[in-house]
Amino acid sequence: METTRGTRRIAAVSLEAARLKLHPGQKATDAFAIAPELTTAEAEPEADAAALAALVDWCVRYSPAAAADAPDGLYLDITGLAHLWGGEAELLADFQGRLAAAGLPFRCAIADTPAAAWALAHYGPGGTIAPPGGQQPALDPLPPAALRLDPEAAAQIERLGLRRLAQLFALPRGPFAKRFGKAALLRLDQALGRSGEALSFRRPPTPWVARLAFAEPISTPEDMARVAFDAAEKLCARLEREGKGARRFELYFHRLDGRSPSVVAGLALPGRDARRVAKLLVPKIEAVDPGFGVEVVTITASEVETLSGRQVKLEGAAQPAVEDGLAPLVDRLVNRLGEERVWRAAPVESHVPELSAARVRPLGPATEARTWDPETPRPVRLFRRPEPLDGVIALTPDDPPSQFRWRGQTHRVRRAEGPERIGEEWWKREIEDVSVAHVRDYYRVEDAEGGRFWLFRAGLYEPGAPAKWWLHGLFG
Amino acid sequence: MSDFRGKGLAALRAEIAALETGGRAESGFLPFGDLAVDGRLPGGGLPLGRWHEVVGEGLEGETGAAPAAFTALMATPLATRGEAVWVFRRDDLLAPGLIGLGFPAERLIQVCARDEAEVLSVMEDALATVGVAAVIGEVADVDLTAGRRLQLGCEKRGGTAFVLRRSPFGGQARRGIGSTASTRWRVRSAPSEPPAGEFGLGAPRFRVDLERCRGGRTGSFLFEAARPYCLETTDGAHPLRLVADLGDRQLAPAQPLAA
Repeated sequence: METTRGTRRIAAVSLEAARLKLHPGQKATDAFAIAPELTTAEAEPEADAAALAALVDWCVRYSPAAAADAPDGLYLDITGLAHLWGGEAELLADFQGRLAAAGLPFRCAIADTPAAAWALAHYGPGGTIAPPGGQQPALDPLPPAALRLDPEAAAQIERLGLRRLAQLFALPRGPFAKRFGKAALLRLDQALGRSGEALSFRRPPTPWVARLAFAEPISTPEDMARVAFDAAEKLCARLEREGKGARRFELYFHRLDGRSPSVVAGLALPGRDARRVAKLLVPKIEAVDPGFGVEVVTITASEVETLSGRQVKLEGAAQPAVEDGLAPLVDRLVNRLGEERVWRAAPVESHVPELSAARVRPLGPATEARTWDPETPRPVRLFRRPEPLDGVIALTPDDPPSQFRWRGQTHRVRRAEGPERIGEEWWKREIEDVSVAHVRDYYRVEDAEGGRFWLFRAGLYEPGAPAKWWLHGLFG
Repeated sequence: MSDFRGKGLAALRAEIAALETGGRAESGFLPFGDLAVDGRLPGGGLPLGRWHEVVGEGLEGETGAAPAAFTALMATPLATRGEAVWVFRRDDLLAPGLIGLGFPAERLIQVCARDEAEVLSVMEDALATVGVAAVIGEVADVDLTAGRRLQLGCEKRGGTAFVLRRSPFGGQARRGIGSTASTRWRVRSAPSEPPAGEFGLGAPRFRVDLERCRGGRTGSFLFEAARPYCLETTDGAHPLRLVADLGDRQLAPAQPLAA
């Protein structure tokens, strides 16, 4: 039950209600006239979407490429995966069996294109499998609405007496497009595989997937660690065969109750060493709750790159290879602390000090930006937020301060350098937001004890207005 | 000193060193290139394959700028030779600042740990890695057990660790009861001297007390960064230059030790 434009309408009906000829979109008053004993509940689109997302996640046991088709459908790309179940028919039977066991009403179909599968699932006999290249005969008897047209276009087509797709397929393309619009023609082409269709998969689809199924559900941590290694080995053997390496491995435990928690391991350099991958995955498995048991595990590899075999060095090289030492270290740290806690500073072509260094992946490719200029002194420690200074005595407009107070201590400046004027990056902002108040004049000063500070005056000098001074960093 | 006696002494020293390292080979030494410092350190240079403590003073104990700059300069020869890892809890290290001191910061791996124990465990992990020459960590305190573990980590691959004692987020620094560090350096900034006829600041200077030195002698020094803020690449000389030996005013020069 939902409210659209001030009218209470039915959003979805149960099987029993459907038998009473109630249908979605019907006014609530009409429905109550037909069935006074009707029980209604408020529609919860968010909960429906969450449930669909959970179902899509669950479907990863069949294929890593699963896409939700809101509000009540989903696509599974099973290209090249059916053999894992022994064929498309067996896969479909398994899928239907599990959905039925979960108590979900469903209709499904397998076809060459998403559009054809959608049409067959919604309007064809349940459980259709269109043979490769043979979806047209299967689509022929369906009504035009199976093409996912706008209701108006579908209604117009029906009004013209075209009740079956076969009649549409027989029409010449030019007049068809003219009469029903380009969108209709596109839908027709998508159904027949003459035009591509982009699905937004819940996860980036990857053809790199391996799957292990068990006769009996497993639940002990030792077993889960072992199957992690077995699954990794299976996938890594395939990567090895095809000369590839992956940066990211994701292991899914498909539990009996339909949930599938996952663990992720990232590598700094693409790799395919099952032992190493398993070693990174195993510590995280502890946090996975096996529930009543895990019956299937799947492992996917993403960020797959070509990786040539490593040459074995005959004599001990003076410089150990990065794969030996650093890469495993970075992997260990990244997987333990998280990706954002391990980095290497990369130069950014920006004169603004806090923007001049970016965090990059430790062993990623070198950036193209020039390295920092060693001749412009920069502090060793840069405060995230500049700290305000008080008691600053400075000759205006351009002289460095001769004395300032910071954290309750007065510092007498003995030597100073500057100013170095650093403006904002005005080309990156709206021109209205750019202001001379954002200009900073930096001074490098040294106090009598030898402490070296990097401080700046905000904004341009204005007679009468007190200057604002900040400490931004320490040279040590 | 007769030659015979010198040889005997050297042999005895080597024997004691072998006992101290538990039979493992020494990882070598990194000489500062100045007898006044090297003569006080065992083996004529900063011992590698050990861990060293660098301490700041006053406010520096919290901001840790001078100790960081001094450690970066001390570790530069190691960081150019192998990989370097810097572990901390506050990510206020600025790579361009290290570049200016000559430290190869574009290759430095920076790790932000969540707590003290994690800093130490990451340091240990990094030390156990092939190819990592220097590991720098910022912690408030290293107790005896942690110090021993660090030492074992250093011995595994011959990596050298530097521990910057830095009190966390303005809190009071804890005072360790003892330390298993090979050396302890207390570092303060010192007023710089620009070359005659030039304005502005000179090369950064540091007043350094070698407070503790296993197998050597303590002392006080005034160091200066040898090539700060210039494009010139390193010519093999140590990036720290001794300006004056504040030492304990011994008249006789320090005896060079047989290697």
